[in-house]
This record gives sequence, C-alpha cells and structure tokens, in this order.
Amino acid sequence: MAANFWTSSHSKQLLDPEDVDVVPAKDRERGVTPVEFRLVKIHMSFHIWRLAQQVKVRQRVIATAITYFRRVYTRKSMTEYDPRLVAPACLYLASKVEESTVQARLLVFYIKKMCGSDDKYRFEIKDILEMEMKLLEALDYYLVVYHPYRPLLQLLQDAGITDLTQFAWGLVNDTYKMDLILIYPPYMIALACIYIASVLKDKDTTSWFEELRVDMNIVKNISMEILDFYDTYKIDPQRGLQEDKIIPVMNKLPSKA
Amino acid sequence: MGDGRGGGSNRPAWLQQYELVGKIGEGTYGLVFLARLKPTHPQAAGRRGSPIAIKKFKQSKEGDGVSPTAIREIMLLREINHENVVKLVNVHINHADMSLYLAFDYAEHDLYEVIRHHREKLNLSINQYTVKSLLWQLLNGLNYLHSNWIIHRDLKPSNILVMGEGEEHGIIKIADFGLARIYQAPLKPLSDNGVVVTIWYRAPELLLGAKHYTSAVDMWAVGCIFAELLTLKPLFQGVEAKATPNPFQLDQLDKIFKVLGHPTVEKWPTLANLPCWQNDQQHIQGHKYENTGLHTIVHLPQKGPAFDLLSRMLEYDPRKRITAAQALEHEYFRMDPLPGRNALVPSQPGEKIVTYPVRPVDTSTDFEGTTSLQPTQPPSGNGPPGGQPVPRQIPRQMQQPMGGMQRMPPGANMGAFGAAPQAGMVGMNPGNIPMQRGAGGQSHPHQLRRKADQGMGMQNPGYPQQKRRF
Repeated sequence: MAANFWTSSHSKQLLDPEDVDVVPAKDRERGVTPVEFRLVKIHMSFHIWRLAQQVKVRQRVIATAITYFRRVYTRKSMTEYDPRLVAPACLYLASKVEESTVQARLLVFYIKKMCGSDDKYRFEIKDILEMEMKLLEALDYYLVVYHPYRPLLQLLQDAGITDLTQFAWGLVNDTYKMDLILIYPPYMIALACIYIASVLKDKDTTSWFEELRVDMNIVKNISMEILDFYDTYKIDPQRGLQEDKIIPVMNKLPSKA
Repeated sequence: MGDGRGGGSNRPAWLQQYELVGKIGEGTYGLVFLARLKPTHPQAAGRRGSPIAIKKFKQSKEGDGVSPTAIREIMLLREINHENVVKLVNVHINHADMSLYLAFDYAEHDLYEVIRHHREKLNLSINQYTVKSLLWQLLNGLNYLHSNWIIHRDLKPSNILVMGEGEEHGIIKIADFGLARIYQAPLKPLSDNGVVVTIWYRAPELLLGAKHYTSAVDMWAVGCIFAELLTLKPLFQGVEAKATPNPFQLDQLDKIFKVLGHPTVEKWPTLANLPCWQNDQQHIQGHKYENTGLHTIVHLPQKGPAFDLLSRMLEYDPRKRITAAQALEHEYFRMDPLPGRNALVPSQPGEKIVTYPVRPVDTSTDFEGTTSLQPTQPPSGNGPPGGQPVPRQIPRQMQQPMGGMQRMPPGANMGAFGAAPQAGMVGMNPGNIPMQRGAGGQSHPHQLRRKADQGMGMQNPGYPQQKRRF
C-alpha cells in the first residue's frame, strides 16, 4: 500500500470530475451555488494552510488535511459539518496520521489568535475531538493519502530540470486549492505542474514527455484546469480570498456561534 | 464500515449487532472482547454466529482525542489484505463516551499459548511440520507487509495468532499493528517515537541506538520466534533496564552476544556508527564473548538447512540479514516435511494431533469494562478442556516483557476469519503505471533497488507444493 498507489484506498476512491463539485442537497436548500461551494473550499484550504503555518507542520500534513477536508464534502453537507470546525479537525487528524501530532489545545490557541474577532471560527478542544471522530466515520476510516510531492521531485530529476523545483513545488501547493487530488493520480498532477513550469520557463520537455508514454491529454487537461484556476480567482497567495467575496457565502452556512 | 449513530445513548445501535461473550484481554490502550455477530444482522449472512474480537480503545489522555495507536492501526489495516494478517472487519465509534472499537475476526490461539501449552502441559516439543508451517506463514505475511513498506516493529509470539477450528484452522494471522508504520519517507527518524519491540525480540541495532532502522528488525524477531518454536523457551531473555530514554539494554545485548559471539566491525561495518557502540559507556567493546554456539541451544545440526535459515535471521548486520522474501525461498521450506496451510494439523498419518486450549473468557465484564458480581465462567460449550482455571489473562501478562512502550500482549488477541486473497496482489504493479521509466509514480528511491530482490517472493503463489497439503 505504501509502496503502491494502485492498490491503495486512495486510488480506489478517485472520483469523476462531475462527482466532486456537487453541492450537497442541504447546502443547496440554503442557497449555496456551485461557485460559492467552491469558494468555501478555497477559503477553508487557506484557513488550514495558515493554521498549519502557526503550529509548524510539514507540507505533507497540510496536504493530507486538505485532502480529508475535500473528501468530506463529497459526502457530507457544510450545513451539517461546519467547515470552520472541520478544517482544524482535519489538520488535527492528519497530524496524527502523518506522525507529527499537534495537540488540540495548540490548535484552539492559534485559531483564537488568527480569528480572534470572529466568534464563528472559535472552538473548544472538545469540539475538535468530537469532530475528529465524526471525520473518521465520514472518511470511512480510509486515512492513507498520496501526494504529488515525491513523484514531482523524482520526475524533475529524471527530466534533468531540477532548477524548476521551487516553481513546480509552488504549483503543486496551489493544486490543493482545487479538488484535483480527489480526481487524478498524484503523479499526473505532478506531471501537469512540470508541464506548466516548463512551458512558462521555456524549457523544452517535449521529448521527455513523449518518452513517458503517459496520456498527454490528461496532463494538458489538468494543466488547463490549474491555469483556469489562477485566471478565475487571482488569489493573493498570502491573504487568500477577499473578505467581501467570502463573508456573504460563509454567512449562508449555519454556525454554532 | 462503522455506524456511530447513537450519540447520547450509552448503548449505540451498532452494539445491537453483537452478542457479547466476555472479555479476553486487557492492555494500556483498553480492553478486548469476544463477541458474536447476531444472526439477524445483515453482515452475519453466511457467517452465522461468527466470533469477533472487539478491541476497545480508551481515550488516550484527557484532551488528546483518538489515540495515535488506534489511528495507526486503522490506517494500516484499512489498506492491507492478506491471509496471514488479521482482518479488520469493522470500526465503531461510540460518540457518547468518545470510545473507539475495532472489530476483527477472532482467532482462538496465538503462538504464546501454543508454545506454553507444549512447554507446560505436554512437555513435548512442537512437531517439525507445525514449526515449519507456522514459520512459513509468518514469513509469508511479513513479506506482504514489507513489500508494502510496513514494518511491524512489535513481533512476538503473543502477537501472532493462529485460527481455531473452522475454515481457516491452523492459519497464522499477524496482529497488533499499533506500533507498525510505513517506512517510506518517514517524517521523523523512526526512533523518535519511542523504542519499540518487546526487549526479548529486539534487534541488536535497536539495542545499540540505530536511528533509521529497517524491516530487518522484524526478521530478527522472526529468528527469535523460530528458535522459541524449536526449544519452547525465549532465545534471549534479557532483563529490561526500565525508565531509561536510552535504547541501550546491556543485559539483552549480553544475552545475545553470549550465544552469537562478539559482534565485529568486520562482520558488521555500520556497527561503528551506532551511537551506543560509539559511546560504549558500558565497555561492551572490550568484553570478549565466546561464541557458545547457537546450534547447541536449538539442538540443530550446524550443517542443516534449518540451522542455516535461523542463523541468517540472526545475522548481526541488518543489511546482511535474510529478508522475508529470501527466507520463503530457503531450502528449509523445500524439504520434508513441507509446510502446509493448516499448521496445527499435520497430514502425515500417524502424527499425533495436539488439541490446544481455547482462549479463556471473562464473562463477568461488559462492554463498558464494568465487572459484574457473578462468578467468572467459561462460555457455554466453549470451555477450555481439562477444566483449566479460566482467567489466565493476568498471570500471562505478567510473564510478558513489556518492552519500552508499556504495551500489553493481548492486542494480540485478535484474529481474522475472512478468506483473504493471497500475496499475488501486493507490492509492485508493473503494467499499471503507464510510465515506462524513471520514477514509477510513487516509488521511493530505494524501491527500485528492492524490487529486484523482492520480486520472487511477491509472485509466490502460495504454499510450496500446495497440492500435497490442501
């Protein structure tokens, strides 16, 4: 399993693109549109990211947490599973799975620090622990997740373009603002990031890609999705979505506060 | 899997599908129960009254949520599937008290009890066929784990279950994955989360403070278990120095060196880099150990294949130690008696069939762990033969070395019953990765190298010469 993506639960759970972005019925009733549904997921991915910077966990833990977060909302509604709580609980669970456990009280502390003015984001330790159990159920206890990072490094090495590492790595990070990890095998996402990086940095990788014998249509489709994403959202990588864009959407979702 | 609805209630709905028989084990993580699926439950179809072992995890500490041990066990067992590995059949959550339950197919025996029965009750060694079959199946399960980059880290007789009468009679199931981990790209040095492996089965590189150990630590443990199956006594019974953060265990090393001789840098080049060897605060380097000879302890001819295999498992240098895949190909398994699927029942006519005692059940404890006042009794029709006193659990635990990680053996008391596919599906996936060269998707740099030496074991279709045994 660890050796082999193809026999893993991750591989078996890959979804068709059209099955990923379906707004759950309960959220639709509250007037959440597909565009808004996506916005919340982007916004909360940033939230997880920022929280992770505070508690200092590795990239891999963040990536696993966001993958859990996105997986949950292919099955559960935001109305029933408050994303403001699901997000830190995903980070909490991912930190255990990736063997760098972050204490729940630390998360609670930093959430307060980050979102002090907004009570809707504040939770107690107990809330996180309860949500951790609900997450385990919602994820059907499948916890192993593969990421594009390792194949990325290996492929860059193989292509002899390790000077693109930093740029391509950043692209991979940004793919977690999207649902790609639920749809494509991680190495295909890595290839798409290499493809974009080499085009933008004027590296000729055509023959290298040809030799790989991968389906270039898929690689190009993923690349287009990534570029579309940048075009559509023009997100400030530090600050995330603009408040006036996201607050009205978040207000459609119930909160315990 | 799972159905944790029932928040607020103390008897969650999922509990209704089981009939509790009683408690069969206890550890720091929680309790283990024996239960049966009620025939009315949909999952019970075709497996009427199947015995299930339910491991209940307590909250590890106030404010820490689900114990990382439970998370690790769920994470690994949810991905793996092999005839010689316990089968996780369900996970349940009781939201009311935040407890977590793992349900496994139940195994009636384990190697600890099998060995003990021979030593204390029969006063008779385990027959060759059974030893060989147990060892082969253990290696087969371990080969599957290792080729999937999982190190068990806590192999010992009580963690190796053997199925009782039924479809899978005499089949080994490796259990207790609470310490197991994936060793591909570790986030932290493996040694960071505490010293592992019960001290008697702990590999010398661990005892000398190796930071990045490998699957070879499991093979050392298998060697110790092999010897124990032969002699009915633990091979290296060191006394653990407790309450030390230092992995160094002088007495255990002393026991090993006395049998296998003094390790040398010539035989084990990386020895010089191991922290505890370098510091050598106990002056082990200067001590001269005579090689008393492993063969005299295990009573095996030095030139025979059994001894050859055992000494390759107990090779000091972890890089030279035999791998599970290599061991499965060893001559020992190609000689009479050949290993078979039912390790407990030899097929040769005239061989005496040993009846092993069933696991004692404490029927006075309920799922909450509350003990009722009624006297302990064996479950009806399931009592141990010979009227053995029933709860042997406590003395048994006390005999067990606890290792540095405060664990109890009965994690142990889990078993699998479902028919799992054979090793064929494991590991590599040629043909599946649509890339012909370079980094095949997710592979680790070391993986490419290992592919070659694991290839054979991987394709092992099952037991050698199956026809004779099945």
